[in-house]
Amino acid sequence: MELTAKIKRYNPEKDDAPHWETYEVPAEPDDSALSLLLYVKWHLDGTLTFRKSCAHGICGSDAMKINGENKLACSELVQDLVSGDGDTIKFAPLPAAPVIKDLVIDQSRFFEKYRAVKPWLMTEGPAPEREREQSPEEFDIIEDATKCIMCGACTHACPSTWSDPDYLGPAAMLKAYRYTFDTRDDGAEERLPVLDSDKGLWKCYTIFNCNQACPKDIDITRWLSALKRRSVTAA
Amino acid sequence: MASQYGKSRRSNAGNWFLHRITGTFLVFLLITHFWVQHYDDTTRSVVEQVVTEKGERPEYSEAAQKAVRAKFGADAEVTSYDVLMLRLADPVYAVLWKGFNILFLIAALHHGFYGLNNILTDYIRNPLNRKIATSLSWTAALVLLVIGVYSVIVAGWGYAP
Ligand code: SF4
Ligand code: FES
Repeated sequence: MELTAKIKRYNPEKDDAPHWETYEVPAEPDDSALSLLLYVKWHLDGTLTFRKSCAHGICGSDAMKINGENKLACSELVQDLVSGDGDTIKFAPLPAAPVIKDLVIDQSRFFEKYRAVKPWLMTEGPAPEREREQSPEEFDIIEDATKCIMCGACTHACPSTWSDPDYLGPAAMLKAYRYTFDTRDDGAEERLPVLDSDKGLWKCYTIFNCNQACPKDIDITRWLSALKRRSVTAA
Repeated sequence: MASQYGKSRRSNAGNWFLHRITGTFLVFLLITHFWVQHYDDTTRSVVEQVVTEKGERPEYSEAAQKAVRAKFGADAEVTSYDVLMLRLADPVYAVLWKGFNILFLIAALHHGFYGLNNILTDYIRNPLNRKIATSLSWTAALVLLVIGVYSVIVAGWGYAP
């Protein structure tokens, strides 16, 4: 079928402001949305810029706003985005972040928040001789959260982020959950005070936009609520 | 780059927790309040009075008239104000209802102002302005609390119509 790709373009060296451009693109129903962008770049306009790497929902590079919702371009099928021939698919960069060019956003703030929650295993006492063991039941607690690929769809879909771009956001706090509730971790005392702030947990009003946006279907709001309860007991 | 996400100086976990508690509480308090104040047999008249057309004498349930007249004499004029004050003037009921109303007041004020603070800090990002806005709003809550508690305590105090 023939589709129209409507893409929000922005070249900071030439443009004062972002603007929409449209391209006619041939597509099959089981093509990914990413393949439309690749077609534009390879055949119609080589200056189109976007991030992508694995094309299989693993690297988390190509989160963007597709038809108004934050999604991974490689994991969305054309048939789920249009109802028939001649339809339009709209591509825009993730909201609430500075745009570097076209669909590429500046992720430095996103990763600053990630580092702020100390996303690594913190342990006390001497290191064991062998690996630190964890039972399947203990892993179950954090299994859902370990699926995160750091695509940023959730954080940039959150109204709390829109109103305050410095809000830690779901992705970073989900990471905090993943380590704080890891039975091998002893870092809660260092990690929780970062979350228990006016940039952290209490700005989560359980809006559930993050859950809706997450391409890995992680129950983010639920795990953030677990962190809130842990913070209350710790305080 | 220095991170702005250091340890926070003050925990907000307590306020968040109270917000949950007061929210749950308010459901029950509101139902009780509405029932007692507007639908209970002795005070139903208050509602009836509101819906009575202008110029007509308000209608009261028999129970309400009887209760007021028993207290203030057979000729007592019965108004909605009397009915409410009567309840608050009764020494036994007063403790219950004044306690209830003060609890209601505290819960509603905390719940409402915590919410207002969230909205304020959502939109005000300058730290100084934030401080000013939150201090002002909590001060307003405190003022309302003082006025409210005072009114509840003195209401019906030695009341005679
Ligand atoms: S939680 Fe989901 S939406 Fe958020 S960064 Fe991880 S994979 Fe992406
Ligand atoms: S390109 Fe890797 S997740 Fe889409």
